[in-house]
Amino acid sequence: MKFIAAMVMMLGLILTAPLAWAADPVKIGVMAPVTGQWASEGQDMVNIVKLLAEEVNKNGGAGGHMIEIEVGDDGGDPKVASLAAQRLISSGVVAVIGTYGSAITEATQDIYADDDILQIGTGSTSIRLTEKGLPLFFRTCPRDDDQGKVMAREVAALGFKKAAILHDNSSYAKGLADEVRGIIKDSGVEEVFFDALTPGDRDYTTTLTKIKTKNPDVIIFTGYYPEAGMILRQKKEMGWDVAMIGGDATNNSALVDIAGNASAEGYYFISPPGPSDLTDPMSQAFLAEFRSRYNTEPSSVWSMMAGDAFKVLVAAVENVDKVSAESLAEYLHNDLKDFVGFTGPIAFNAKGDRVGDVYRLYQVDGEGRFVLGQ
Amino acid sequence: MEFFIQQLTNGLAVGGIYALIALGYTMVYGVLKLINFAHGDLFTLGAYLGFTCLVSFGLTGYIGVGASIAVCVALVMGLSALAGHILERAAYRPLRKSNRLSAVVSALGASIFLQNAIMLIWGAKGLAYPADLLPNIVVPIAGQPIPLIRVVVFLSSIVVMVGLYVFINRTRTGMAIRASAIDQGAAKLMGIDVRHVIAIVFMIGPALGGLAGVMVGVCYGQITFSMGQLYGLKAFTAAIIGGIGNIPGAMLGGILLGLIEAFGAAYISVAWKDAITFFVLILILIVRPTGILPERVAEKL
Amino acid sequence: MAAKIKDINFLIRIPLTLAVIAFFCLPLMGLDPYGLGVLNQVGLYALLALSLNIILGHAGMFHMGHAAFFAVGAYTTAILNTGYGWPILATMPLAGLAAGLFALAVAAPIIHLRGDYLLVVTIGIVEIVRIALVNDIFGLTGGANGLVGIGRPVLFGFKLTRPHHFFYLIWGFTALSMLLFHWLEHSRFGRALNFIREDPVAAEGVGVNTSHYKLMAFVIGAVWAGFVGTIYASQMRTISPNSFNFWESVVLFTIVILGGSGNQKGVLLGAFLVVGLPEVSRGLQESRLLFFGAALIVMMIFRPQGLLPPKGRTYKLPSEVARS
Repeated sequence: MKFIAAMVMMLGLILTAPLAWAADPVKIGVMAPVTGQWASEGQDMVNIVKLLAEEVNKNGGAGGHMIEIEVGDDGGDPKVASLAAQRLISSGVVAVIGTYGSAITEATQDIYADDDILQIGTGSTSIRLTEKGLPLFFRTCPRDDDQGKVMAREVAALGFKKAAILHDNSSYAKGLADEVRGIIKDSGVEEVFFDALTPGDRDYTTTLTKIKTKNPDVIIFTGYYPEAGMILRQKKEMGWDVAMIGGDATNNSALVDIAGNASAEGYYFISPPGPSDLTDPMSQAFLAEFRSRYNTEPSSVWSMMAGDAFKVLVAAVENVDKVSAESLAEYLHNDLKDFVGFTGPIAFNAKGDRVGDVYRLYQVDGEGRFVLGQ
Repeated sequence: MEFFIQQLTNGLAVGGIYALIALGYTMVYGVLKLINFAHGDLFTLGAYLGFTCLVSFGLTGYIGVGASIAVCVALVMGLSALAGHILERAAYRPLRKSNRLSAVVSALGASIFLQNAIMLIWGAKGLAYPADLLPNIVVPIAGQPIPLIRVVVFLSSIVVMVGLYVFINRTRTGMAIRASAIDQGAAKLMGIDVRHVIAIVFMIGPALGGLAGVMVGVCYGQITFSMGQLYGLKAFTAAIIGGIGNIPGAMLGGILLGLIEAFGAAYISVAWKDAITFFVLILILIVRPTGILPERVAEKL
Repeated sequence: MAAKIKDINFLIRIPLTLAVIAFFCLPLMGLDPYGLGVLNQVGLYALLALSLNIILGHAGMFHMGHAAFFAVGAYTTAILNTGYGWPILATMPLAGLAAGLFALAVAAPIIHLRGDYLLVVTIGIVEIVRIALVNDIFGLTGGANGLVGIGRPVLFGFKLTRPHHFFYLIWGFTALSMLLFHWLEHSRFGRALNFIREDPVAAEGVGVNTSHYKLMAFVIGAVWAGFVGTIYASQMRTISPNSFNFWESVVLFTIVILGGSGNQKGVLLGAFLVVGLPEVSRGLQESRLLFFGAALIVMMIFRPQGLLPPKGRTYKLPSEVARS
C-alpha cells in the first residue's frame, strides 16, 4: 500500500515538474541596512520591496515567474555587507537591489561582479561606482556630480555672493562639497569657509559662531538631515538670520521635526522629488497601501528608489526569454525607455546610470512643508 | 574678545551636560571600580522616556510647559534610577566577586542590549522633542546674546552637582558612600551595608544620566537610539581627565572637556575637533597619570 | 602515573586533530561561499584577537585601541599597492613594521599608566587615527572614501580571489600564528609578561624590566595586527576609515575576555561566538543584537573567567624530569 502511494506521489511529481519549471521562480535579493545607523532607511527599503513583490505575485507573477525576495542585512557596514552579499549569492539570487550607502555598495560590487549577479544601487550616489565599467551594475538614484552642478547653479541663481561650505566628512557629503566648491568659483561666488563638522554631535553652535565671523550670505551644508535640522535650530537660537541650502540627504520630513517650523522656514535644498511629491495615481495608490500596512510613511525618497529598482527588474523579467543576469542587464541597458517609476521616467545609459535630470530646488515654507521652487 | 566669550559660553553649555553624565561613571567607579559602559545608554533611555512623557502623553496640554517639564524630569529621574537598579541586579551583582574585566564585558553586553531595546521600542528613526516647547529667549551676558535655554541647562546642572557634593560630604548616607569607596571591607566592619550603598550609587548615577538625557532633548531636539555611544565616550573621558572616582573631578573634567572641544574647533579646526580633544587628554594623563584630581585612595600594593 | 597522563592527553588529541583536519577540509566538502565568508571573518577577528591577547591577556594591559594598529597595517598595504604598484604580499612585512613602529611611538609615553587610564588613552588613540584617516592625512589615505582597487595577493604565481582561497590564507596564517604565540607564551618572555600581569611590583622587585617587557608586548601585538591589515585590505579590496573605529576595538576586547584571556583556544572560541553568533541569528532580524547583548551578560555571569580560562602553568617535578 505504502509502495503504491509512494509511486503515485512520484508520478505526480514527475508530471507536475514541467509545470513547475515553466513558472520557475525568480529570486531577487534586497541588501539593505536593516540594523545599525541607517536602520530606518533599510527597513523602509525592505518593506517597500516586499509589498510590491506581494502585489506582483498576487497578479500571477512577472511573466509567469513568481518573485521571491531574500533580504540581506548590510548593517551599514562594509564588512557586514560583504557577508550579506555572499549569503545572497549562495541563496541563488539573480539580481540584488541595494544598497543605501555608497561605501557599502562599493564593498560589494566586486563580489557580485565575480558571480555575475546584477546589482541596482538605490541610494549610492558616489560618482565612481559607475565609472568602473561593470556591465551588471545599475542605479536608480542620480549621481553626486549631477547634484553638485544643480546646487552650484541654484546658489548663483539665488544671487548669493559669499558662501560657507560645510560637510560632515562622510564620503557622500565630502564628495558633494568638493563638487560644489569646484563649480561655484567659476560662477562668481566667493568661498569664505570650508570645513567638516562631526556627525552625531548635538551642539553645533561652536561651528556656527566660527562661520559667522566670516560673514557669508549663505551656508551650503552637504550632509544629512539630523545635523541640518540641529544647525537650523541653533542658528535661529543664536538670532542669526542667514540663508542655508542643503543636498538631497536633507530631504526628510524629520528635518522640520528637529528644527521646528520657525527655524526651518526658508531653508533651501536640492533633491529628487520626495515621497510626498509623488502625486501621480500609481504612487498615491501605493503609498496609501504602504500606510495601511505599516502605519507610517516612507521617510525619504531613497527607499522609493528601491521600489523603482524592483519595478524595472520586474519589467525586465517579463520581457526576456530566459532569465539571467546578462539578459536582464541587456534589457535594462538597451530596451528600457521612459519606464514609469515612482520617481519619474527611468532609463539607463551605457554606464548603468539613470538618465535624465531629476533634481529640483525646494524651499521649506512657514508650515514646515517642502515646496517645489521654480 | 566677542568671539572668545561666545565660544566660552558654547563650551560651558556642552561641558555641563558632559559633567552630569560623567558623575554617573565616576560614582559607580568610586565604589565598585567598574566602568559602567551601559551608562551612556541609560542616558539615551532618559531622553526617550522624557519624550514619551512630554510628547506622547501630551502632558504640556494639561498643566503648562514649566510644570510638565518639572514633572517629567522627576518621573524620568525615578525611572532611570529604577532601570539602573535593575541593571545592577541583573548584570553586575552576580559578577561582584569575579575579575574586573568580566564585569567590563558584561557592561558592554548590557550596553548593546539597552541600545537595541530602545531601537525596538521607539523605532530606528530618531525622534525630535518639539522645537516650540520653550520660547526662544535671548539673554545678554557680557554683552553677548546667549539663548536662555542654555543658561538654564548650565545652571541647573551646576545646582544638581553642588547638591550631590553636599549630599556626599554632609549626610550619613554620603559618608557611607565615601567609606565604601575607600575600603569596602573596612566599611562592612564598621556596620555599613555595602550592598545598600552600591544600590544607592546605582540609582543616583542613572538618575543624573536620565536628567542629562532630558536636557539634551529639550535643548537640541533630536534624539537617536545610538546617541549614548558618543556622549558616553565623551563623559567617560571627562571622568578620566578629572580623575575617575572623584566627584568634583568629574565636574571639572566635564566642563574642561566642553571647553577644549569649543576652543579646539574655534581656533584650530572643526574637522579635527575630537582628535584635538583626545590629544589633550593624552597630554594631561602623561603629566598627571591619574587625572587632575585623583581619587583619594592609595593604590593597593 | 606519567604514562597515564600521557594517555589521556593522547585521547583528547586525536579527536582534536581530526576536528582541525575536518575544519580545513570544509571548502572541499562544498561549504557555500557565504559560510566560507563567515569563517574568513571569524578568522580575521581571531587573528586580531590573538595578537591582542599578548597585550591584554598575557601582559594584563587594558588596551582598547587595537583597531588603530590594524588600520596602520591595512593602509600601509593599500597605499603601497595602489600608489606604488607593490605586490600585496611584499607589503606585508612593511605593514607589520609600520604598525610596530607606530605602537612603539605612541605606547612609550603611556606605558606606565594604570589600568583604566590606559584604557581611555588607547580609545583616544584609535579615535585620533580614525579622524586623521578621514581628514586625508598627508594626502595619502583618500579621506572618507578610503582607498579602492587594492590588488589580490599572488602566492607562488597563484592569484587568490575566491572565498575558499582566502580561507586557506587566513586560517593557515592563524595556525602559524598560534604556533608562534604558543612558543612565545612558554618562553622566558611569556613568563615575564604573566609575572607582570599577576604582580607588577614583585616583578619589578626581582629585576624584571617591566616597562621594557610591556612595550615589547605592545609592539609584537601591533606588528601582528599590521600583518592582518594586509590580508584584510586585499580581501576587501576597498578600505575606509569607518572599518577601524572604536567599536571594532571593543569587539576585539570582548573576544579576548569572553573566550578566556591568556588562552589561545579560548580566544579562538570567543571569535567564533562574537563574530559567528550574530551571523547565525540573522533570522531574528532587527532584534538579533538585543539577544547578542543579553547573551554576553549571561555568558559572563556563568563563566566569569571566560569560557576557556587558561590553565595554570604546570611544571614537572624534578623526580619526573629525571625519570622521563
